[in-house]
Amino acid sequence: MPVAARASRPIATVLFGAAFLLSACTGGSSATPVSIPPDATASAIPPAAGTPKPAIPSQTPVAAATFPLTVTDDEGTAVDLKAAPQKIVSLTPATTEILFAIGAGARTVGKVEDFTPYPPEADGLPVVAKFGSVDVEQIVNLGADLVIAGGNGFNPPEAITQLRKAGIPVVVTYATDVKGVLKDIELVGEAVDEGPAARDLTASMQAGFDQVAAATKGLPTPKTFYELDATKEIYGPAKDSFIAQMIGLAGGTPVTTEDPAVFAIPLEKLVAADPEIIVLGDAAYGTTPAVVAGRAGWDKMTAVKDGAIRPADDTVISRPGPRLVQGLQALAVAIHPELAAMFPQPTPTASPAASGSTAP
Amino acid sequence: MATRTDVIGAPLARTGPLERVRSRPAILLVGSVVALFVVLILGVALGSVAVAPADTVAILAHRLLGLDLGMTWTPAAETIVMDLRLPRVLAAMVVGLGLAVAGVTFQGILRNPLADPYVLGTASGAALGAAIAVLIPIRIALLGFGLVQVLAFVGALLAVTAVYRFSRTGTLAPLTSLLLTGYAVGSLLAAGLAMTMYLSGSNLRQIFYYLLGGFEGTSWSQVLLTAPIILLATIAILARARSLNGFLLGEETAAHLGVDVRRERAILLGLASLITAAAVSISGLIGFVGLVVPHVVRLVVGPNARWVLPLSALIGASLLAAADLVARVAGGIPVGVVTAIIGAPFFLVLLRRARTGYEL
Repeated sequence: MPVAARASRPIATVLFGAAFLLSACTGGSSATPVSIPPDATASAIPPAAGTPKPAIPSQTPVAAATFPLTVTDDEGTAVDLKAAPQKIVSLTPATTEILFAIGAGARTVGKVEDFTPYPPEADGLPVVAKFGSVDVEQIVNLGADLVIAGGNGFNPPEAITQLRKAGIPVVVTYATDVKGVLKDIELVGEAVDEGPAARDLTASMQAGFDQVAAATKGLPTPKTFYELDATKEIYGPAKDSFIAQMIGLAGGTPVTTEDPAVFAIPLEKLVAADPEIIVLGDAAYGTTPAVVAGRAGWDKMTAVKDGAIRPADDTVISRPGPRLVQGLQALAVAIHPELAAMFPQPTPTASPAASGSTAP
Repeated sequence: MATRTDVIGAPLARTGPLERVRSRPAILLVGSVVALFVVLILGVALGSVAVAPADTVAILAHRLLGLDLGMTWTPAAETIVMDLRLPRVLAAMVVGLGLAVAGVTFQGILRNPLADPYVLGTASGAALGAAIAVLIPIRIALLGFGLVQVLAFVGALLAVTAVYRFSRTGTLAPLTSLLLTGYAVGSLLAAGLAMTMYLSGSNLRQIFYYLLGGFEGTSWSQVLLTAPIILLATIAILARARSLNGFLLGEETAAHLGVDVRRERAILLGLASLITAAAVSISGLIGFVGLVVPHVVRLVVGPNARWVLPLSALIGASLLAAADLVARVAGGIPVGVVTAIIGAPFFLVLLRRARTGYEL
């Protein structure tokens, strides 16, 4: 035998590497559809702290939508809904939160697996999807009359096609920015016949965003690095990504990878950027300020010298759902600790539900 | 009776059930057909939702044979059986069949026991094609074939063509040259894949799932488009079993036997590559089946391609469909993991019990 060669071996290497890369960039928010999207529309929201005022959602009470109804989802698909959905399946953790927040929880019959489950009322729901797989059989068997899925590959597109072929309407949501989250909440509200409740929610969320904007107005905007993972390579927000926008809204200047499609940031680049604040989005995975301070080379950064390394709850910050105001407040307090009195934060041991006094 | 000898006169090491089958491949052929039907029925009857076996049979009888067995079932059950399970089981069978036949062909032509359907760069080509398709923001779907499937198919064929062209140097022995060129091109494409994945941003997930392989979301149209390609190419290879037997004896001997070596090699490589490309386009990369099934069959019935080809086809189909069933029932674990877990120990047992001097 001359050569025992297998050309598939290089693939194995790539696959192995991909597993690392994947676990790294989704590690902080493995259950969130939109953690770090490269985003063309991001410029709609100024990344720097200013007075970002996305259009205030209409608050004029509108008569409940009449079914049959056609809604256009975030992929531009026109989805026909014959009647107000009575058996709703949520395929993203954010959607589960939205459904319960706008009073459609009782009509929700299935949900996606959620590693940081919220709200507690959704705990008993059957899990019909996991990270990257959807149990279409189960959804068909539940007799679902509306499925709300995540776009950009969060749920496999083949599964969405199958559901639609089986006659189940699927609304795909994919928010690339904070404004998009509010729009998605209203889209979900419209589709599940809870339009007014959804608009109330978005109005109060907008008020929450405005409150943070007002509180951070005039404050310095320190260079802030949001760490997603640093077990091997250092992963942070890509340029114009959702988290980069959130940092801007919270009164910081985001230190990003400077490329919308790149998540990893070399240490030397990070040292050169010299963040004044480091927010630990990977705090839930055991990263502590002491760990960060002990890393080789990190002691050169202002944030480490000043001890400005602050843990954060990545779920509320990066999940595009109703608790985003809470996430923004947490981020604002991490960047500007003096705001803690205005936005009281839960102690790390408290359940997320205990916080959010101003959040809906 | 106790001292039966095999064809070449050496005494058999053991006389167990394995040896009895060995002398009568026809028994194995009948057994494989039965196994295929058992797997087909189990595959359609079992899943995450329990559909009563009687209902399953009634639905199949009604929809496939037009028989009315006087039973009623829910529309959900019909959708699950006809639109979700049946195409998936058939896809797994067609892909398993194709990979096994391609494996026999590549191993025979290259006379390399480690050759598998991906040996000439098909895997890397398909993976790179799929990865590029994920990054192209156009969402076309033609007859259930998305851009991912189309570019995977094209990528696999382009890779093999490139390998074949580059390998014709004239200075190296053709087989060595093919294997080494396959490895080189495969490595280059794998590097391209790694680069694409690195730059893919939030699309990484979709590429990763393609690489893992599987049958989630398989549609009827995908089965109906790829099955004819795979089945026709398989028949064409079966018709050339004599050439394949000739290659097993070495190219020179094959030439003496009247085989037009260059022409037959090109045709067989082309057919096997076509099968592989069609298979990977709907299933992603699934290892093990194409490598091991041919060996299992050869260990049992000997090297004659006239038996090895049809038996590998049937066993490959059953194995992959069974593995997919296990993967489904076990909650969506990657099917490649299951094929290896089921197949590898079985293969090891066979290797230990093999008659002495097993060679390709």
